[in-house]
Amino acid sequence: MEIVQYALRKLLAGLPLIFGVTLVSFALMVYFGPDMTYQLLGKNPTPDQILEVRHQLGYDQPFLQRYLGFLREIVTFNFGESSTGEPVTTLLAKTIPVSLILILPGFILGHVVGLLLALAAAYWRGRWPDKLIMAVAVIGMSVSFLIVIIGFQIVLSSSDGLDLFPVRGWNASSLGNYLSYVTVPTLATMFVALGYDTRFYRSVIVEEMTRDHVRTARAFGLPESRILLRNILKNCLIPFITRVMFSIPQVAIGGALLIESYFGIPGIGKATYEAIVTGDQPVLKAVVSLTAILFVLVVVLNDILYRVVDPRVTLK
Amino acid sequence: MNAVTLPMPAATRVRGESLWRQAARKFGRDRLGMLALGVVLAYFVVALGAWLGWWAGGWADLTGTKWEPVSSVHWFGTNIIGQDIFDRAVFSTATAFEVGLSVALAATLIGAVLGAFAGFFVGSWIDEFLLWCIGVLDAIPFYLFVAAVAYALTDNPWAMQVAMIATFWVGTGRLIRGEVIKLRGMEYVEAAHSIGVSEVAIIFRHILPNTGHILLVQASITFVSAIKAEVILSFLGLGIKDGMSWGLMIDESTKEVLAGFYNNFLAASLLMFGLVMAFNAVADALQDALDPRKVG
Amino acid sequence: MAGDSSRPVLKVRDLTVEFVTEDGVIRAVDSVSFDVQPNETLGLVGESGCGKTVTGLAMLRLIPMPPGRIASGSIELDGRDLVPLPNRDLEDLRGRELSMIFQEPMTALNPVFTIGNQMTDVLCRHRDLTRRQARPLAAELLAKVGIPEPANRLDDYPHQLSGGMRQRVMIAMALSCNPRLLIADEPTTALDVTTQAQVLEQFRALQAEFRMAVILVTHDLGVVAETCQRALVMYCGSIVESGATADLFSRPRHPYTAGLLASIPRLRSERLAELPVIPGRVPDLLNLPAGCRFADRCPRVQERCRAERPVLTGRDSGVACHYPL
Repeated sequence: MEIVQYALRKLLAGLPLIFGVTLVSFALMVYFGPDMTYQLLGKNPTPDQILEVRHQLGYDQPFLQRYLGFLREIVTFNFGESSTGEPVTTLLAKTIPVSLILILPGFILGHVVGLLLALAAAYWRGRWPDKLIMAVAVIGMSVSFLIVIIGFQIVLSSSDGLDLFPVRGWNASSLGNYLSYVTVPTLATMFVALGYDTRFYRSVIVEEMTRDHVRTARAFGLPESRILLRNILKNCLIPFITRVMFSIPQVAIGGALLIESYFGIPGIGKATYEAIVTGDQPVLKAVVSLTAILFVLVVVLNDILYRVVDPRVTLK
Repeated sequence: MNAVTLPMPAATRVRGESLWRQAARKFGRDRLGMLALGVVLAYFVVALGAWLGWWAGGWADLTGTKWEPVSSVHWFGTNIIGQDIFDRAVFSTATAFEVGLSVALAATLIGAVLGAFAGFFVGSWIDEFLLWCIGVLDAIPFYLFVAAVAYALTDNPWAMQVAMIATFWVGTGRLIRGEVIKLRGMEYVEAAHSIGVSEVAIIFRHILPNTGHILLVQASITFVSAIKAEVILSFLGLGIKDGMSWGLMIDESTKEVLAGFYNNFLAASLLMFGLVMAFNAVADALQDALDPRKVG
Repeated sequence: MAGDSSRPVLKVRDLTVEFVTEDGVIRAVDSVSFDVQPNETLGLVGESGCGKTVTGLAMLRLIPMPPGRIASGSIELDGRDLVPLPNRDLEDLRGRELSMIFQEPMTALNPVFTIGNQMTDVLCRHRDLTRRQARPLAAELLAKVGIPEPANRLDDYPHQLSGGMRQRVMIAMALSCNPRLLIADEPTTALDVTTQAQVLEQFRALQAEFRMAVILVTHDLGVVAETCQRALVMYCGSIVESGATADLFSRPRHPYTAGLLASIPRLRSERLAELPVIPGRVPDLLNLPAGCRFADRCPRVQERCRAERPVLTGRDSGVACHYPL
């Protein structure tokens, strides 16, 4: 019960954030955004037609009224129709599952592999496995996401490379199809943050290794590997959880956007990209408000997880 | 608190040596850091030459035919319409520095000032407001934000930079805020306060200069982020509009690699990798050299 | 002790511990030799940075390596040299034959595990027990160190206990496997005076009960006087004087020991303001003087002190000074 109350309070505290995100993106994208009037009109429109379309689009209303209308759309979860005539909610329901199964494997694998590499580096810190892993991490940090994607595509999918997987596109009708289409995007998603994640995890672990309680554990004869995997790791959970949680919104939009538009995968990222390019405001408004809500949920969930892993944190 | 209190501080720090001189000494001894700095400087010379028109002036000229291989005339071959890839890659180095430097300088400056104000007036409405701004900017996905700014500033060649600056100051701002909260409790700040130095003067004259080590590292990290972001934004059509950049070259190459022509892709990505890698190494070496907690 | 038939528990010979820094090699412990007899409490005294804590940590080989290293010497526990011992064998000894308690009870315990969890960890590590079997033993140990309601405390996290209680938990953990030798590094320094006295009292009682040898590392000569039969005085990584506590306190022979003793405030002293201090500062460990390391601060310094380094005249009772008091 306590935890539900806490979550509700935190959600309320997240409202100013949602307000800010929606206000900023509304102002930038819709109010100062491109004027769609003439794209909806035929050649040589009459002034009356222009006024008519502007009224339909709500351009003739003052800022506040339009913003409040946007908030109403968020609350009722009714964003109207996209410029292709499809209801936005239908579009979201169609694309979000695709993005989830596309991004999730790489996201999870990336963090797991990063953590394992960091543990290995920390265990052998100062010696060659550490130096090797950290050197590779810096190299990984220096490669652009786009280069990673193209690189994997050349090596794994092109006729000059191993030619194992489809070059682009999407088909999740069967497990086999799914695996063949998801592999290259997964590797790219995994690889792009791996350098940063490995370094982050290692630095947290190594910092924790210098704590007095670790020396105590050693002084009582606990084996080094056990100290690392149990005593140290549990103390690192808070920064780790924060890292994973806050990378969710970034990967969900940033990662999906690039991967899907590059490989032509019909997920929310590609839909967003197309909305950006064509100025499809109903879709953009929906995506922005969803990410703001996702962000607030991440913050709340993060705080609740703190409570679960650290006895010193109280829900106040 | 560490395992052993080493009987060292008195021994290692040459007495009276400032943090900066000590850092310079440490940096000078860091061979990898010095090598990386050399690489960055070499890139800078390349960029400088492109700015001054010493080389790569013909990046837009059609000097060959489609997809020429590497030759003594076209060192990296030519692209799909016969432009010299080497010239384009070299010219893009200058673009990378333009983007990197302008974004790094502006974002660090804004982050420093806003972070310092938030930290100095911690708990006040200024702090609350800036924290809210930071939270909001964190919550908007980067690419969406860039797209939004690009639309709001339609046809403005600086749209991409503005968007990057507006996002990248956040990290520096948060760090500086934390540091300033620590510094404002220091005796010398309280002393300045008590003799009636104005708050703004305290922030600019007494507090910000003491965050220089953080700012330098943050600026180099932001430089790298900006170059990397440019590539992706240019690919998405939200980046460089006029001129040439590694991002535009890689975008161009996406149509070529599947046809088996890799020169464009390799030239841009390798050159970019070299600069980013060197800059990352410089940032690491700076961080090591400027970290007062690290002894030796 | 020379006529005692029992062999020393611990024999340390020519122990030298160094730290490699970018500015050079620092010798934190320099050819230190001493014995610890069964049931004895040996004080290791000196100012901070004199190498006493490093010496204590070296007994369990707990010095972080790198940057530290045991450059030479031997540490024999019951005739077995710990210096060349493989890590695995050393881990078996730590917490069972050799225990250590630390200065900071606030940070020495793991904040995210319960007291019971941490205690049963140690019990299960060294004795053939399941967690279920170890728990009542842990409660028993907590009762022994004077913790009320021990069974309930087992489920507490360290932050729920006071500093004194935490240090008692540390002591209980250290005693859990009946160690031969306990190294206590400033065990009471972080506690307030009343708690300090209680913990020390408990400590003495337990030492008698568990019949173990103790090395008490401290800067507090009062604690040494109350607890230790013998003491070693360290300065700049070397032992400058050793002997029975009573002798050291009544007839200090090294000018440094005399200086330390003179700087203890006494309740009856007429004016506290005139408390003598040792002039000067500890020399830079990277640029140690060639002769006696105390020469620059010594009131009795002579020509010879600057040229020639004095050696300790005897292991159990001796002084490293050319012109002792």
